[in-house]
Amino acid sequence: MALLELRDVTKIFGGLTAVDSLSISIEKGQVYGVIGPNGAGKTTVFNCITGVYTPEGGKIIFDGKDITGLSSHAIANLGIVRTFQTIRLFGEMSVAENIMSGRHSKSRQHWWHGIFHTPGSNKDEKENWLKVREYMELFGLMDYATLPAASQPYGIQRKIEMARALATEPELLILDEPAAGLNDKERLELVDTIRKVRDEMGITVLLIEHNMDLVMSLTEYISVLSFGKKIAEGLPDEIQNNPKVIEAYLGREEDDDE
Amino acid sequence: MNKKYLYYGLFFIVLIVLPFFLSSRWVSVAITFLIYSTVALSQDIVLGRAGMFNMGHALFFGLGAYSTAVLNTVYGVPILLTIPVAIILPLVFGILLAAPIVHLRGDYLLVTTIGFNIVFTQALKNNIFGITGGPNGIFGIDVPKIFGYSFSSQTSIYFMAFGLLLLTLFIIRNLETSKAGRALHYLNEDSLASECIGINTRFYRLFAFGLSAAIAGLAGVVFAVQFSAVSPEAFNFLQSVLFFTIVLVGGPSSIEGVLLGTFFMFVLPEIFRQFAEARYLIFGIAMILIMIWRPKGIWPAKFGRIPKYMFKE
Ligand SMILES: Nc1ncnc2c1ncn2[C@@H]1O[C@H](COP(=O)(O)OP(=O)(O)O)[C@@H](O)[C@H]1O
Ligand SMILES: [Mg+2]
Repeated sequence: MALLELRDVTKIFGGLTAVDSLSISIEKGQVYGVIGPNGAGKTTVFNCITGVYTPEGGKIIFDGKDITGLSSHAIANLGIVRTFQTIRLFGEMSVAENIMSGRHSKSRQHWWHGIFHTPGSNKDEKENWLKVREYMELFGLMDYATLPAASQPYGIQRKIEMARALATEPELLILDEPAAGLNDKERLELVDTIRKVRDEMGITVLLIEHNMDLVMSLTEYISVLSFGKKIAEGLPDEIQNNPKVIEAYLGREEDDDE
Repeated sequence: MNKKYLYYGLFFIVLIVLPFFLSSRWVSVAITFLIYSTVALSQDIVLGRAGMFNMGHALFFGLGAYSTAVLNTVYGVPILLTIPVAIILPLVFGILLAAPIVHLRGDYLLVTTIGFNIVFTQALKNNIFGITGGPNGIFGIDVPKIFGYSFSSQTSIYFMAFGLLLLTLFIIRNLETSKAGRALHYLNEDSLASECIGINTRFYRLFAFGLSAAIAGLAGVVFAVQFSAVSPEAFNFLQSVLFFTIVLVGGPSSIEGVLLGTFFMFVLPEIFRQFAEARYLIFGIAMILIMIWRPKGIWPAKFGRIPKYMFKE
């Protein structure tokens, strides 16, 4: 059974069909790529999966459960967590607090522990902070722990966002152009991280990426979107040589993103 | 961190000895300072921490005060037994009123809460249910009695108000070091990102309103006891503006800031009372300058207070 399945998902903005009857299926343990020219509807697909938008048509099935139309936090609590194309951190708060936000759903504290602590809630608090430390060490962020997230360089901010997402211990990690704005060294680190996420943490990864080298070296299966429709799918090699894909990309020309 | 406890220790010692050095008029100001600090700290939970522009906070303060006043004078309930009602009624109202509006953008929320506050004071003035005493309010509220001891002296009321502030500080310290408290900051800074990592933003917004209203309601009890009277003006929209301003001028999310803000906005004008209306001119200008030069308040909030064990082996 597929971990995530989209069946004929359609999202319309006014007169524009941003996602047009899209069906894809992602297996557990895969690194799955979604590519396509700018404006093809990739981010909109992610927004539908994570409950930011409710699709006008179709179904989204996660782990055998219909999650179409659920709220974002409910979907996140089921184990789908994302990063954003334009980074969204809690800018004024420290790096450590940002990553701690990822522990929200795993923490066993109740709302009343915000008023009175108990030995159990204190223990839970400590366990979660120590988890945050693990993720900060993994990403080499310990030196930044107490600094405000917004004032960190771009590459660090990408790491913070990824660490925050992983801190939720998701089943499916969705990355929206994780390499955008990174330099070559950071991009190599990213490839390593994504491999680690899949191989060592056992997390399925779904990613949108503009950078072709990265997609080809990392993903096992690819779907190509153009004008909201899937125009091709297959293994990286097949995609690279698919004339439709080449045309979709050449037809629009390499416009650099954002 | 240890330094911080030292400062708080000093602050508390000053507050403990204060009533023995002040004249009766100034003890009265000090009591109101303690009560207003509590209300402002509770307002800060919604306004500072969760970032929701509540401009009707005096409503919850008043609801607490009137609960005690009505139950005591109309139904003869002892003050101590009115406390649960004075907490739960504002709590329920806080959640019910907030439920249809918490998703609204800041400016819309602000206007709606002003509306709530105006409706509330109008209801009081019109002697709703025949129990609120109309425009003059309610007089002759009892003092709390416990095991034969009655809080009738000014000093004992002062320490009641001091206890109220201590309890509030205790709750806010717990809030700051909990999942719920952090959730408020997260949803304040980026609601969408919070949702996408699994935070039920609506739930925590209502939590903030409920907790904030409950604390303000409790403060209302002490306020009713201090003056042994309540009247609609003490809880009108202008009073809400005061609490709103205290938080912004002092420093949203900053306990020290809110305490300083209360001192600045309430105690200083009392000190300069002899200058009559002229003092408000100075205060108006000072408020403007503070907001221009210190947009995060007199004592801005600090983030990044991370437990020490994070850095040890
Ligand atoms: N919230 C929105 N409202 C209206 N149109 C939108 C919205 N989000 C995306 N679109 C439109 O949908 C199309 C797909 O956008 P997007 O999913 O961001 O593309 P991609 O991520 O592939 O670059 C674009 O034409 C974009 O303008
Ligand atoms: Mg996009």
